[in-house]
Amino acid sequence: MSETNVIRRLEAAGLPPQLSRFGEWADRHFKWVLVAPAVLLILALSIYPLVYSLVVSFINFDFQVPGHAFVGFKNFERVIADPVARWSLVLTAFLSFSSVAIEFILGFAVAMTMMRSFPGRGLIMSILIVPLFISPVIVGQTFTLLLQRPFGPTNYVLSALLGNEVTISWLTESPYIYFSLILADVWQWTPFMFVILLAGLTAIPPNLYEAAELDGVGPWQVFWSITVPHLGPMILLAITFRLLDAIRLFDTIFIMTGGGPGTSTYTASYYLYTIGFTQFHLSQATAGSWLFLIFTALVVVFLVRRLLKAETN
Amino acid sequence: MPARPIRRRRYRSVPIGRILLLGFFVIFVIVPLYWVFNTSIKPSSDYLAIPPVWFPDEPTIVHYTAALFTYRGLEGLINSIIISSAATVLSALFGTLMAYSLSRYNTGGQHLSFWVLSQRFLPPIAIILPIFLIYRSIGIYDTHLGMILAYTVFTLPVSVWMMFAYFRQMPRSMEEAALVDGCTRWRAFWTVAVPLAAPGIVAAAVFAFIACWTEFFFALLLTSKNAFTLPTVFRSFLSFQGAQYGEAAALSIVSLGPSIALGVLAQRHLVRGLTLGAVRG
Amino acid sequence: MAEVKITSLHKKYGAFHAVRGIDLEIPDGEFTVLVGPSGCGKSTLLRMIAGLEEITDGEIEIAGEVVNEMRPRDRDVAMVFQDYALYPHMSVSRNIGFGLKARKMSKAEIDGRVRAAAEMLGITDLLDRLPRQISGGQRQRVAIGRAIVRSPRIFLFDEPLSNLDAQLRDEMRGEIKRLHQDISTTMIYVTHDQIEAMTLADRIVLMRDGVIEQQGAPLDLFERPASIFVAGFLGSPKMTFLPGRLEIGDKGAAVALGDGAVVIPLPADRPLAGATNGMSVILGVRPEHVSRAKGQDLGPGHLRQEVAIDLLQPTGSRSYATFKLAGMPVMAELEAHDVSRPGETIAVDINLNRASLFDAASEKAI
Repeated sequence: MSETNVIRRLEAAGLPPQLSRFGEWADRHFKWVLVAPAVLLILALSIYPLVYSLVVSFINFDFQVPGHAFVGFKNFERVIADPVARWSLVLTAFLSFSSVAIEFILGFAVAMTMMRSFPGRGLIMSILIVPLFISPVIVGQTFTLLLQRPFGPTNYVLSALLGNEVTISWLTESPYIYFSLILADVWQWTPFMFVILLAGLTAIPPNLYEAAELDGVGPWQVFWSITVPHLGPMILLAITFRLLDAIRLFDTIFIMTGGGPGTSTYTASYYLYTIGFTQFHLSQATAGSWLFLIFTALVVVFLVRRLLKAETN
Repeated sequence: MPARPIRRRRYRSVPIGRILLLGFFVIFVIVPLYWVFNTSIKPSSDYLAIPPVWFPDEPTIVHYTAALFTYRGLEGLINSIIISSAATVLSALFGTLMAYSLSRYNTGGQHLSFWVLSQRFLPPIAIILPIFLIYRSIGIYDTHLGMILAYTVFTLPVSVWMMFAYFRQMPRSMEEAALVDGCTRWRAFWTVAVPLAAPGIVAAAVFAFIACWTEFFFALLLTSKNAFTLPTVFRSFLSFQGAQYGEAAALSIVSLGPSIALGVLAQRHLVRGLTLGAVRG
Repeated sequence: MAEVKITSLHKKYGAFHAVRGIDLEIPDGEFTVLVGPSGCGKSTLLRMIAGLEEITDGEIEIAGEVVNEMRPRDRDVAMVFQDYALYPHMSVSRNIGFGLKARKMSKAEIDGRVRAAAEMLGITDLLDRLPRQISGGQRQRVAIGRAIVRSPRIFLFDEPLSNLDAQLRDEMRGEIKRLHQDISTTMIYVTHDQIEAMTLADRIVLMRDGVIEQQGAPLDLFERPASIFVAGFLGSPKMTFLPGRLEIGDKGAAVALGDGAVVIPLPADRPLAGATNGMSVILGVRPEHVSRAKGQDLGPGHLRQEVAIDLLQPTGSRSYATFKLAGMPVMAELEAHDVSRPGETIAVDINLNRASLFDAASEKAI
C-alpha cells in the first residue's frame, strides 16, 4: 500500500462452487459424521457385548448344562455363594491398595529428588520411564526369572547380604507370593506415579518457594503448606487412574503364579477367567463380570467425584 | 513485629539422602532388565551356577533362534506388527475425527466425551466373554481382522482424549479463516486442522501402538494358532517351567525393543499420554 | 459490495446473553467500527455476520438476503483475525491464494491475483516465506492480502491491530484507512481502542453489555454523547464528571457543586429538556475545554475560576494539570508553559458551551 496510492480493485472472485448433494449432507451433519466411526465401533464391541453379557447372566449358558432357560438371579447367587469369588475380591482389593500405596509413596519420593535439574537428569528420566512401555506379561516373566527357585539370583543375593542361607520359594509359598506380585507391580507402575507427580511438582510456581524461603519457613512446613495443597488434584488423578488399572490385575498372575498355589492368588479377573474360559460356566462368568463391573463403577464414582471436586476448587 | 533473626542461607550441601534414594531406584529399575538380557545370552549350562553368572563368558544366540523359530516367536512378532500397526492407524484416525468434533462442535455435550472416557475404565473381563462368543459366531475369532477391531476399540478412549486435549489448546481461528475463505468444514479440518495437529496425532498413535503391542488379555482369549500376538507366545514357556528361561528372556528382549524405543522417543508427550490429556506435561 | 441489515439479533451461550437485541443498518461502502469494552458482544456480533457463530434469535441480511442459515463460505465475506490466523504450514503465497483455490480457480489466475494483491501491500518478496519467518507487521499485511485478493462483498476486521506494537499500529491504521478510501468496500471493524474507532470510522457503533449504547459519526459521539458511558469511553484523557444539583432560577440554569460551594452557570441557550429544578445531575467537562485564562472574561458560557494546581503531567506538546473544584479533581489540558510547577495558583476558563450534562439517575444526557 505504501508503494502506490491508487489500488487497482481486483475483480470479485465470487463464491466457491456449490456442493454436491452428498457434500451438502455431510457438511450439515459434519459433527456427527466425525464421531460416527468411533461411536459405532464402541457400540459394536463394547456396549453390545455388555448388553449381551447381561442377557447371558440371566439365562443358562453353560457348556456343561444343556439348554438356555431363563434362570433369574441364580447365576448371581452362585457367584456370591462361591468362597473363591469372595476371596478373589478381597485379594484384588488388598493387592491393588497395597501396590498403589507403595507406588505412590515411592513415586512421590523419587519425584522430589528429580525436581531440580542436575547433570544426567535427562538420561535418568529416560531410564526410569522404561517399565511403562513393557508388556505386563514380560514384567511377570522378568520377575519369574529373578525369583524362581533355583534359577533366580534373589535367594543367593539375599543370603550374601544377610550372612545366612535364604531359601524362599517366592512364587509358590504364601505370604511371599503376595510380596512377589506386589513387587512386580511396583516395579512396573511406580514410574507412572513418578511421572505424573513430577509434572505436578514442576508446575508449582517457584516464586512460592522463594517467598517461603525469604519468610524463613522450614522445609517440612513448605512441603505441607505449599507442595501438598498444590499437588492435591494431581495426586488424586494419579491414584484414581492407577487404582482403576490395578483392580484388573491379570497378566502377571497368569504368568507368575497361574492363580496358585491352589486358589490363593485368584484376583477377580483371574477368577472370572477360569470360570468362563477353563470351566466354561459362561453365564456364571458373565454374572460375576457384572458384579465386578458394579464394584468398579462404585470405585469410579467415588474417586472421580472427588477428582472433579478437587479440580473445580 | 518482633525482629526475627535473619537466617543466613546455608550453602547447599550435597544432598546425600536424595542421591541414595535416586541411585537405589535407578538400580531397582535396571537390574531386572539386565537379568533378562543376561539370561537371554547365557548358555543353558550357566542357569543353575552358584554364584549366579552375571557376565556370561560365552554369550550365545541360540535362545533367540529357538524362541523365534521353534516357539513360533517370529510369527507372533509379525502378527503383532500387523495387528498393532493397523489398529494404531484406525485408532488415531477415528480418534482424531471424534476428538475434533468434540472439541470444536461440543458434540453430545459432556455426555459423549465422558461416555468415551468411561470405556477406558471398563474392565476387559466384563466384555471379553461376549466378544469371544460373537467372534466365534461371525467367524473372526483368531483372525487379524478380529484383533485389529478389538484393539482399535481398546485404544480409542486414549486416542480420543489425547486428541481432544490437543485440539482444545489449538487456536480455532485458522480453521475459521479457512471457513470464511470458502472451505467446507471437512476441508478446513483436513487441510488446516489436521496438519497443525500432526505432532499430537503422532503422539497419540505412539501410545496406541504401545498399548496394542503390550496387550495380553484380549490376545490370550481371542486368538489361538493363527493370529496370536507376541505376548501370548509366553504361554508356551509356562508348561515347561525351568527349561525355557533363555527362550523366554530372548523373546522378552525382542518384544521390549520397539515399545521402549517409541516410548522414550515420545517422552515429551508421556504425561498427556498417561493421563489422557488431563495433565499437560 | 453489499449492505448489511441486522434486526433484533440475539446470541446466548447457555445462560450468558452475549448479544441482546441489536438493530443495525450498515450502508454499502461504509466503514463501521464496533467498539466497546471487552465482553460487550462486539466480536460476537462480527462473528455472527461472518457466519462463525449461530444466531440465537433475530436476522442478518447481506445485500437484501437473509443469511442466518448460510455457511461462511457462501457469504462472500472476508475476515482479518486478531491473531492473523495465517496457515502456518503454507507459504505466504499459498496463504493468500487459499481462498481462490477453494473457488477452483486456475493456477495461472490464482498466481496473477496473488501477485497483484502482494504488490498492493508491498510484500512481493515475502511470497515464498512461511508465516513464522516474517514479522508481525508483515503477517498483518498477509492477512489483509488474503482478504483483498478475493475482492469480497464485505471486509470484517476483528481487532486486527491489537497484537502490534504502538508504532506499527499507527502505521497499519493509516494503511487500513487508505485501503478503504481506495476500494470503498463495506468494512466492519471491531476494536476496544477508542482512538482506532475515532480515526477509522465513518460511523461508530458503541456497544455495552450486548446492546448498542449509541451510534453515529465519530465527532457526533464525541461531542454529543448520549450517556455517561459513551462520554467516558471516548476521549483520552477521560472526561471529568462532576456530580451536583441542577438549579433553575430566573437568571437561567446552573449546576451547584458540593453543597453550593461552587455554582456553575450554564449557557442560557442550552436546552434542558426534561430537567427539573433540584434534580441530581452530573456535569461532564473534557480536559481540552479547560484552558488558562488569558485577557478578558470570555463572557456567557465560560466560567473563570482561580484554582490551585496539585498535579502536573507534561507530555511535551501539552500539559495535563489537575486541580480541585468544590473538592473534586478536575483535569485540564493546558499549553506546555501555562503552568510551571504543582502548587501554583492560576485562573482557568471552563468552556461550558461544550460541556455535557447528564441525569445522575438514568446516566443519560440531558
